[in-house]
Amino acid sequence: MDRECVSLLPRVCEVLAASGSSLPDDTSLEKLLDWFTEVTKAGTSLLESCPCLLEFISSVVHNTTLDPSILSFTLRLSGLVAVTEDAFTVLQQSSVLDLVFNLQHWQEAGLWEDPCIRIGWIQGLRTMMQHPKALGFFVQADFLKPLLQLQTDKSLFVASAANQMLAHVLLSCQSVSSVESNGVDEEGEDVGRSSGSIADLEYPAITVETNQDYAAVVTAISECLKKSLVPRKNSQLHQSLQILKLLALLLAQTRAPLWEKLLQMVADSVYELLAAGYSQLVLPLMDVILAAHSDLVHTAQSARVLLLPLDIITGLNLLTTTADEQQFSMVEQLKNKTSCISMICVCLTNTPQITLTAADCLPCPPVLIVTAVLSLLRLCSGDFSSSSSSSSSCRDVSRNIIGSSKVQKCALEALIALSGSPGVEVKLPEVVTLLVQYLDNPHSDPTVLHKSYQALVRWMSVCSDLSSITDQHRQDLLQVATKRSCDIRWEVRDSTVEFLGRLAGVSVVQTTAEEVSDASVALLGGCCFTTPLLRAALQDPESYVRASAISALAQTLAASWQQGAALTQEHTEIVNQLLEVLSRDTEGFARRAVVRYFIAWLSSRSSHSSPPPLASSSLLMPSVRSVLSRGSADLDWEVKVHTLELAELLLHEAFSGQRGYMKGNPTQTHPYAVIPDTLHTRTHNEEDVVGELNSLVQWGVVSALLSGLVDCDRPVALRACRLLMTLREVVCPLSLGALDATAAMAMVAKVTCELPGCGWAREIRKMLATKAKDAERGCSVGEVVDCDDCGEAGQEAASGGGQTPCVSVCEVLRSLDLDERLDVLTRSSDHVHNSPFSLLQDILTASSAHSQPDTQQEVIVDCY
Amino acid sequence: MKLYCLSGHPTLPCNVLKFKSTTIMLDCGLDTTSVLNFLPLPLVHSPRLSKLPGWVSKDGTINLEKELKDCAGRVFVDSQPEFCLPERELLDLSTIDVILISNYHCMMALPYITEHTGFTGTVYATEPTLQIGRLLMEEVVNFMERVPKAQSATCWKNKEIQRMLPGPLKDAVDVWTWKRCYSMQEVNSALSKVQLVGYSQKVELFGAVQVSPLSSGYSLGSSNWIIQSHHEKVSYVSGSSLLTTHPQPMDQSSLKNSDVLILTGLTQMPTANPDGMLGEFCSNLAMTIRAGGNVLVPCYSSGVIYDLLECLYQFIESASLGTTPFYFISPVANSSLEFSQIFAEWLCHNKQTKVYLPEPPFPHAELIQTNKLKHYPSIHGDFSSEFRQPCVVFTGHPSLRFGDVVHFMELWGKSSLNTIIFTEPDFSYLDALAPYQPLAMKCVYCPIDTRLNFHQVSKLLKEVQPLHVVCPEQYTQPPLTQSHRSDLMLELQPPPMPYRRCSVLNLPFRRRYERVYILPELANSLVPSEIKPGVSVATVSAVVHSKDNKHTLQSVPKPPPVAPSKKRKRVMDEPPVVMTPKPLLSGAVPLEAFLATLQKHGITEVKVEETADGHILHLQAEDTLIQLEEDGTHIVCDNNEPLRTTLRDLVLRFLQKL
Repeated sequence: MDRECVSLLPRVCEVLAASGSSLPDDTSLEKLLDWFTEVTKAGTSLLESCPCLLEFISSVVHNTTLDPSILSFTLRLSGLVAVTEDAFTVLQQSSVLDLVFNLQHWQEAGLWEDPCIRIGWIQGLRTMMQHPKALGFFVQADFLKPLLQLQTDKSLFVASAANQMLAHVLLSCQSVSSVESNGVDEEGEDVGRSSGSIADLEYPAITVETNQDYAAVVTAISECLKKSLVPRKNSQLHQSLQILKLLALLLAQTRAPLWEKLLQMVADSVYELLAAGYSQLVLPLMDVILAAHSDLVHTAQSARVLLLPLDIITGLNLLTTTADEQQFSMVEQLKNKTSCISMICVCLTNTPQITLTAADCLPCPPVLIVTAVLSLLRLCSGDFSSSSSSSSSCRDVSRNIIGSSKVQKCALEALIALSGSPGVEVKLPEVVTLLVQYLDNPHSDPTVLHKSYQALVRWMSVCSDLSSITDQHRQDLLQVATKRSCDIRWEVRDSTVEFLGRLAGVSVVQTTAEEVSDASVALLGGCCFTTPLLRAALQDPESYVRASAISALAQTLAASWQQGAALTQEHTEIVNQLLEVLSRDTEGFARRAVVRYFIAWLSSRSSHSSPPPLASSSLLMPSVRSVLSRGSADLDWEVKVHTLELAELLLHEAFSGQRGYMKGNPTQTHPYAVIPDTLHTRTHNEEDVVGELNSLVQWGVVSALLSGLVDCDRPVALRACRLLMTLREVVCPLSLGALDATAAMAMVAKVTCELPGCGWAREIRKMLATKAKDAERGCSVGEVVDCDDCGEAGQEAASGGGQTPCVSVCEVLRSLDLDERLDVLTRSSDHVHNSPFSLLQDILTASSAHSQPDTQQEVIVDCY
Repeated sequence: MKLYCLSGHPTLPCNVLKFKSTTIMLDCGLDTTSVLNFLPLPLVHSPRLSKLPGWVSKDGTINLEKELKDCAGRVFVDSQPEFCLPERELLDLSTIDVILISNYHCMMALPYITEHTGFTGTVYATEPTLQIGRLLMEEVVNFMERVPKAQSATCWKNKEIQRMLPGPLKDAVDVWTWKRCYSMQEVNSALSKVQLVGYSQKVELFGAVQVSPLSSGYSLGSSNWIIQSHHEKVSYVSGSSLLTTHPQPMDQSSLKNSDVLILTGLTQMPTANPDGMLGEFCSNLAMTIRAGGNVLVPCYSSGVIYDLLECLYQFIESASLGTTPFYFISPVANSSLEFSQIFAEWLCHNKQTKVYLPEPPFPHAELIQTNKLKHYPSIHGDFSSEFRQPCVVFTGHPSLRFGDVVHFMELWGKSSLNTIIFTEPDFSYLDALAPYQPLAMKCVYCPIDTRLNFHQVSKLLKEVQPLHVVCPEQYTQPPLTQSHRSDLMLELQPPPMPYRRCSVLNLPFRRRYERVYILPELANSLVPSEIKPGVSVATVSAVVHSKDNKHTLQSVPKPPPVAPSKKRKRVMDEPPVVMTPKPLLSGAVPLEAFLATLQKHGITEVKVEETADGHILHLQAEDTLIQLEEDGTHIVCDNNEPLRTTLRDLVLRFLQKL
């Protein structure tokens, strides 16, 4: 713990204990508590390092006139302090603890009505309950009853905290008992089940009596669960809901003996609840059932439960046998529209997990589940032709889901997840037919269309063999994609454009020629179809669509870039269009996408092993130059960051393999990391470096980096700074020392870049000038740059007025205090403001301002 | 109360309601689907249509070369298209007192009903209904008269011959009732009988019932009707919509507490959501234009077209269609576009507020101003000089049998670049296209029908809770093509009463009360007496005076003084003898008190016998019986009138007199 902070703490405690109303803002106490929590987690004992806290707690607890927020804070603080057994003992001996958590004390003071006191009480207890002494304290004080009452508190936060606490208590009791029982009997520990941090604690010396106490707690809680689970009247629904939540929480965390005990206790009530069919309770009930069936033994059973609604609605025989009773009660549930939809959605969400389980646990093969989901999707769109269910009750159920986008979305998600199951490839043609139908359906919701596209891409990528896709499929898809790209809703146009791009990224095998191509080519005929659509989308009035169109174009053209295909007229036009977007578009999304387009293009070229194809380079490099200059002057910081990424790529391309070049962040590499030999193998060739550096200057990389460095957006400046450091390490490493470097790299030092007289360059010149003055004052290396206050570089005078001044790149790199700058930039701008010291100071200042109202008054008067 | 159903078409109804001595016709829909059996009327000479082979039966026995033509594998009647009229034999149309029109689509048969039938009543409609209805009639008359056909085909209608005909002609029903289009003169005469009404305005019919139109939200001025007497209420729901389009929203609450609700005009496309269709319309339009093709939209000149134009107004920019011309061609295009802008009070709230800005309520004004939308009365004239492709053309008639659309079908049908988009739900698009086959043009069917769907209507009925619902039989079962969709029908308790063409329904409801007025002076003379708290009763003697279905109680006229001069009295002349009515008695005779009174009057020997209904008192000395029962008292006393009178007066003492 910071010594400065420790010294301030006693005064802060005094202030807090005196009055809470003078806090700088209402988050101060939370921040203070966060800090204490952090300190405790770091292993420091609060009481040892800040003994004043004990006094603080005991004085506050007695002063019930204090602001409730201070009292609540104290309750939680007490819990935190008592988290170690030693501190707990100290607190207990000073009889503070009994008073702090004494319910009656707060009730008598009339403070219990305040929810912040109640939640402070619960959270304080919860924090403290990390050791058996605390547990014993809990049991002896008989806190269980009030806790159970708080579970249905009118404040949702209190109720939820009480629920968490109850679960915690039960789990603690479980671990205590199991430790005890394990001492006698070593077996019975279910390794798979984790029980949280409690299990790791050790509980020595547990007497038989305390163990009985714990058992009593467990019994009391389970009794309560059992009793309150089924609501006797409507007003108790809320209670049932809370209990169900608690139950789900418990079943997910408890271990073997207790888990079974719990399940046995509540099973009857759960069945009763199921039969009663409260629609508000369906979902939490489902959670409980899922939690109850989460182990392997029950998987088959839970799979059956989950598949039952699907079985009923689609009429496909997913489950070979079902008890009539079960079927009947489920049908009754499904006849209600709301519960039908939520039930089906829960089932669909869990279908993928079902298919992940071992085949022998499944009631039917995954392929049948896919068939069922497809059938369900058809029912959703009102197509009953393939439905095999004929009974009228099934039809009553089916009509509940007609047109429900919620069910459609869940079903499509299930379809996506099911694509990976074994043996489902045979369904590909059927899936494609259905998805195309969905895409064509005028009544599909935009989100449903989006999911349909996703599903199509997913199935394409999983089933790479497209021989089963017919020409009719292709034609239909072509038609529908064209139509959707003209949709009236921008979301749909966006999804369509995105889909066209994604499809291009999926590689598939067309069996006819055993040729690998991308799915866009295989399904839609590739660029000749998609490019005109995407180019039209560049004109879209919605910026998201324009942005998606640009990314999709990049994905579509990626193949031709990689193959080094010859440049087409169309390609040139696209590039011109994109540059136009970068300089003209009013929305950031589209401009960002343009920069990303060029990043993709450049990186696909650099990843290409054979010599760079000249044809595309002739277009690419001049465009990159424009992108760098326009992108670094953009108003949107993300565009600028992307531009720097582009610059980084060029840097990498130029110097990868050069000594000193580290891709990525130099400061992030471990100081002792072994640098791969390959980096050393390439001999250091100054001429190469000069050449590359010259081209970097020409392309505008250096300007982009320098302008980024002085950018007011921190992420931009940070990235630029790191890249400049990387560049410095390659061209003029500091390790060589200024003079050595100049001597060793005379040629490199002659490479200059322009610093025009505006904006960022002016900033850079100012920095250089300051540095130069410092240097003059220090060790008189006066030759670097000679500057006046206007910030004009020395060279300008030398090279004659009027022309744009040039500076040596090396000089600039060495003179800008990049390391220091990096240090400043890495820290977040509010690091000072957020420190605990500042927090404590703020509290003190606020209180002094408060205690001297006169001065404050004056200030206020002054303001008028 | 009876309902005569003259039309079997659920969305083009024509029903007659007999209710309390009034005869009210509800709507006057004209089923125009019959025109699909006729050859199109080309505006410009069409070599293809003029050279069609005539039809001769296979065995050559029937030769109708002149009347029937073989076109694209189907047989069509070569004559001026004819319409299927409402049934005219079911009841005497001259007895109809009033006709209530719910919207302009449901009045197209009006001239057939009001002219040459002896009809002398009044037609009630809102102003936009009348004006736009007039436009639609004018348009049809114009379409027909522009392409006159001398010949009228009648032979094929012969029952024996019709039986032998192929295809849909053979199955056409009531072909003898089919009639050619009316003339403009008949239209004017029919419309002169229209009396304008405003929403919620109450119109008295002969004092017997009150009718009042309510906004139905479907089209400009469209209405549902309430027909009510003092104790009965019939609602007539026809063509209503809950969607937010241009008209005023539907008034649902006034439909509450109806004894009978007659439900017609639900959506013809229960599975096609109008929003989805609108989206489909726009994307297909944009797709065609982008590919360099033309778009043809066959439509009525009023109604959905306003919404289509509004939607396109927003879509044009986003789909970069700014330079594509939109043409609206109809003899009444100009009037329709302008009328829509002046009926502000009939529009939805949003559009109404625009008028105060002031701005035109519909954005098509701006489209016209910026020259994006141009309208012409016909393809002849200015249009031909300004016609530019690719373009979008809105024109009628949606049946594709007459109107300017016929020309565009001939012109654009052969190119696969062009698209025809059907938006009107009234005609099957495949049948409409039949005489143009084979067709290279792309066809898109996105019918936009904003009328209530089954989901909406069942919600509405749940809310307004009518005692009985009457509806076309089509609504009581799922559509034929989707027999498993039990959600596409009306499911009500009690089940709705279905009707079909020519049904006569006895509506299950009995009139029990009638309102009677009482004149002030007579009322003044009444002496009410309270028989139990809050209930007072008075007797009244009066003369009932009934006129115009109003009943009034008037004082009994005093007998005129007997004329002294006339000596001879004739029985006939004698005024009715006015008897002062005896007072009405009420109350019960308490046994104990009665016995006590008897004793006071010297009757001591009384034997009381209890019976099922009361008591029998046996006055032994007098040999008299008094039966006291709940609803009567009898004194059986022979030959002792004074005693009987005494006893009677004693009984009367205990009773109240009115």
